[in-house]
Amino acid sequence: MEQTLRRNPALRAWLLIAPAGLFLLIFFILPLFIVIIYGFLERGTYGGVVWQFTAENFSRVFDSLYFSTFLRSLYIAVLTTLFCILVGYPLAYFMTSRPPRQRNLLLLLLMIPFWTNFLIRTYAWLTLLRTNTGLINVTLMNLGIIKEPLPLFGNDFAIVLGLVYGWLPVAVLPMYASLDRLDRSLVEAARDLYASGGQVFRRVIWPLSLPGVVAGSMLVFIPSLGAFVTPAILGGGKSLMIGNVISNQFLAAHDWPFGSALSTLMMVIMLFATLLYFRSTALKAKEERA
Amino acid sequence: MPNTIAVELRDVVKAFGSVVAVDNLSLSIPDGEFFSLLGPSGCGKTTTLRMIAGFEMPTSGEIDIAGEAQGYRPAHRRPVNTVFQHYALFPHMTVYDNVAFGLHMQKVDKSAIARRVAESLDLVQLNGMDKRRPKQLSGGQQQRVALARALINRPKVLLLDEPLGALDLKLRKEMQVELKTLQQEVGITFIYVTHDQEEALTMSDRIAVMDQGRVQQLGVPEDIYERPVSRFVADFIGETNFLHCMVMQTAPRGEVELAGGIRVPVLWIREGISPGSQALLSLRPEKINLFELSDTYPTGPDSAVVHGHVERLVYVGTDTHHTIKLDNGATVIARVQNFHVEEEPWEIGEEVIVQWDAAHARVFRE
Repeated sequence: MEQTLRRNPALRAWLLIAPAGLFLLIFFILPLFIVIIYGFLERGTYGGVVWQFTAENFSRVFDSLYFSTFLRSLYIAVLTTLFCILVGYPLAYFMTSRPPRQRNLLLLLLMIPFWTNFLIRTYAWLTLLRTNTGLINVTLMNLGIIKEPLPLFGNDFAIVLGLVYGWLPVAVLPMYASLDRLDRSLVEAARDLYASGGQVFRRVIWPLSLPGVVAGSMLVFIPSLGAFVTPAILGGGKSLMIGNVISNQFLAAHDWPFGSALSTLMMVIMLFATLLYFRSTALKAKEERA
Repeated sequence: MPNTIAVELRDVVKAFGSVVAVDNLSLSIPDGEFFSLLGPSGCGKTTTLRMIAGFEMPTSGEIDIAGEAQGYRPAHRRPVNTVFQHYALFPHMTVYDNVAFGLHMQKVDKSAIARRVAESLDLVQLNGMDKRRPKQLSGGQQQRVALARALINRPKVLLLDEPLGALDLKLRKEMQVELKTLQQEVGITFIYVTHDQEEALTMSDRIAVMDQGRVQQLGVPEDIYERPVSRFVADFIGETNFLHCMVMQTAPRGEVELAGGIRVPVLWIREGISPGSQALLSLRPEKINLFELSDTYPTGPDSAVVHGHVERLVYVGTDTHHTIKLDNGATVIARVQNFHVEEEPWEIGEEVIVQWDAAHARVFRE
């Protein structure tokens, strides 16, 4: 056995990926196919499906009602991504400028929110933002700074805030990694060659940290687009995203095929976004080689 | 042309917290000189260079470049350019854009940039490489791009931070010659930081040997090698034999007593060492002559003679290192050039006369 393994590196490699491969096949790829197939079936009366082919679910997806929800989700996801970069990039830059011990502490602090359940953290925001009883509005009104409660809850603002809060650490990590890798002597070289602080950033730091920014954006954009916990809680049941529509199809409307069709479409869109990202980075790498 | 001063450091101190990296350094480097800062890592040479470049500000003291006090002027406003240790080429730019960067930042117009980039690449023999990326170049080529990128700005002073450190030995030797030629061609003052004594000796007009933030010796390469003024310099530059001795007299002629009561003449004893004190005699291995008992050897007042036995022979190609156990118990290494390969004149254990000229011995504090 050992002999065979030693002589056959390909077999060895297969054995190494077998556990993960098997797991993914049974618990990821198979369910994925079920979702895709369900999208083409008729709905059952109390949930489930009837094995009868139809393409109607996919044409319903483009109904103005769902399509506008989808566009709104896209808008919220883009906004979330932008704010995550706007807030996260300077933070990542600051962290890389610290001495190593402080850096590790900051990384730890960044990850601490993950120790608490996301649902609970989102509910915590609820107590802060709620219109009449939220901590912020109550405090501001008691201090006499405002007369009417601010519209902090049940709108896009609350959702974007909650999503930015939730995904910021994920956005910071790849940006931190790419800034950390950036050779500081390049900054000095640019300085030495008469570049001002702004020029150093524009010509050297930003372009070289761009892969981290792109990776961070993807990591925020994809889950934000499909988010349903945050809009469900902070959207106050009024401001919905496509993720809520999908979960409603399964849990409330008992229309599994339509939920599956929506999910499939989301997956296709995200797949394209990811492909675009990889193409752009691959293109860059190719350019560097050419 | 009057010899103007390119860089002047006056009482420069740089402390990082409680660590003093550069300790009250004063230097004056004339225009057009190839000046080296030589020393072991942590001696303050790189910090000195970084202060001239403007990457670090002195804790106290003054730095003048081309007669102008720099004060706290940032790096991008100083008339110097740097060649970095690992080149620090911009990986996302072509060779052309790398070399053009400095002129671009200075808003030189496009056609002038194109002309000067071509000239610079020509100077470092990289014509036709302008579209490549740094990653596609060999170490030696990257080195040249770094040089072109700095020289294109026609700086008053070029600062080089161990620029050849990453190259292999053969290429390094070639680049040493090339750098020196280039420096003479462009006539720019080079300040060269290195821990490689051979590099410094080969290229420099003058060398400052640094240790613990201070200049231990400043002089032309020959001075530094042949006439070291301290134990550190003698030890750091090249190889040397150290023999314990007691100073017998310093004037009118120097004389020291080695172990076993052997007295030898010396011409140079470090100032401040008084007769009767313990000292260290330093002697380069290639300055030692070996004679057979039957040979005639130089005698006279300036000839030092000690008897010994051959202990070990190490053949290193150009010469053979002879380890000699002196009769007084001390050991010296003598380097003898291999003129005659077919001969093997010494045998292990053979008795040998060790002789050197008093002029080659240097006496330092222990």
